[in-house]
Amino acid sequence: MKMPREQAEAMLAHARDGYPFEVCGVLLGRAGERRVERIARVANREQESPRVRYAIAPEDQLRVQRECRGQGLEIVGYYHSHPDHPARPSETDRRIAAEGLSDGVIHVVVGVAGGTEATPTAWVFRDGAQAFEPEPLEIDA
Amino acid sequence: MAVKVQIPGPLRALAGGAAEVQVEAASVRALVDALQAKHAGFRERLLDESGTLKAYVRIFVNDDDVRTLEGERTPLKDGDVVAIVPAIAGGAGVHVI
Repeated sequence: MKMPREQAEAMLAHARDGYPFEVCGVLLGRAGERRVERIARVANREQESPRVRYAIAPEDQLRVQRECRGQGLEIVGYYHSHPDHPARPSETDRRIAAEGLSDGVIHVVVGVAGGTEATPTAWVFRDGAQAFEPEPLEIDA
Repeated sequence: MAVKVQIPGPLRALAGGAAEVQVEAASVRALVDALQAKHAGFRERLLDESGTLKAYVRIFVNDDDVRTLEGERTPLKDGDVVAIVPAIAGGAGVHVI
């Protein structure tokens, strides 16, 4: 998937700003394209363990969808951070994706080491494999 | 009751790629049945074996989560807009529902 540099920088800044808590947001693009045009921060609604868990409220997704529909954009994926944890989906991420509606959806995981070094990786969940597959992440100039 | 249903990306393949479909249904449960009749696979993606909405599936009727209304028995009326929205969660920590 491709992503404009300023949007990737905004996502990484969000992950650093939120440290030591997990942050999350949605990836906006055009249906059927492997290109993210914009990101939108949304609140981490996890109440009990926001350092190691995140939750995106469906109401927040509906609001973002409504705001960007006029521009022809829709939600094509999601991002969340892993403070001081690896930049790859956890078993928690995999199990919840497998229980939900995630087939073909992009997930970017941003590892944040010590609150300063933010590393993004991209993945696509596949129902058939019940797993995330690595997706090349190209950040445009 | 003719209602519009907004389909999230992961389910569009079931509906021939459509982002929105129109069905006739008088309740949310009837809507799932109508979707299933038109496009096989919807029921198992939305409901568990007891016919209850799955934990990570949310259905909204005109911006109201049916869990705050009457769940699968929530009535529908002509012109309602129904949105199927994935609940997204996870994180580095252990799995807890």
